[in-house]
Amino acid sequence: MPVYECNEHQFVENIRRLIETSQKFLVNRRISWHDDAKYGPAILPDEEFNRYVIICIRKSLRSTVFTKVPFIDDFHRRTYDKGENVHGSGNLMFPRMSIPYYKVEYSVNVWGATYFFTFDALFDPHIVIEKRHGKRLSGLVHVLKYNPPPDRLLTLKLPTNVMVFDVKNMIRVIDNSSYF
Amino acid sequence: MQHAAYFYIRESLLIYRDMRNKQKLKSISVLIPLQEVSASISQLDFSLDGITTIVAEGKFWKRILYVNGEETISVSEEIGDAYPKDPIITICGSTHTVSKITEELQHYAGLRM
Repeated sequence: MPVYECNEHQFVENIRRLIETSQKFLVNRRISWHDDAKYGPAILPDEEFNRYVIICIRKSLRSTVFTKVPFIDDFHRRTYDKGENVHGSGNLMFPRMSIPYYKVEYSVNVWGATYFFTFDALFDPHIVIEKRHGKRLSGLVHVLKYNPPPDRLLTLKLPTNVMVFDVKNMIRVIDNSSYF
Repeated sequence: MQHAAYFYIRESLLIYRDMRNKQKLKSISVLIPLQEVSASISQLDFSLDGITTIVAEGKFWKRILYVNGEETISVSEEIGDAYPKDPIITICGSTHTVSKITEELQHYAGLRM
């Protein structure tokens, strides 16, 4: 059974066409959170990296990122010292400072084919100065927190007559019957 | 005769209200700067509800959500120095909203729907 990948524009327009033909269909949605070091500060575009400049520094996109000040990563319960390498340019696939994200997958099945649209929504960094008492850092310290984006920003708003089912996982079954 | 006219006007109003309330879906990909798109949306009484960063097709995008009651418009624009930029506008709203936004954007060149 073929599986086709769409971008947001294509996926929404395909759904609109299905609605207009009064075709019965079901949209599946899967939202799962990940923290697998897929995203680190070195690969962020400047506009996004600017949200980390209070605590991190880099020369340019894909350059090594160093910590500017000692800080606590509240999400991962990790402490970083000043000048620590958190994402090396020679090791872009394996950042030491991982940015958590939601993986959002939308799919629709029509005539045996699956059309899907997927994207990752990064957690919002929120840097504050807090009073902490720890072994390595104590007193007023920078604290990095990550806030998950709200649901309304993760989901595609579809008309009320479109049924959206939330699913935990999708298991693809290979249909050999089509070969005969 | 008066009754018939009243009935006709009442039915027309109900149909008009129904048309306005019925949600339509539309996605538009335009070669128009984000500022122009945002201005068009703001003219229709939509207000900014939130911004988040997403990664799709291996690119970073800024996803902006505008809300007006039950109607929503999301605008996704690629972050960075990419050129040309073509924000993706996804509208889930009344026929009136969809046509108004489309009309507004049609004043600019490069519209492809």
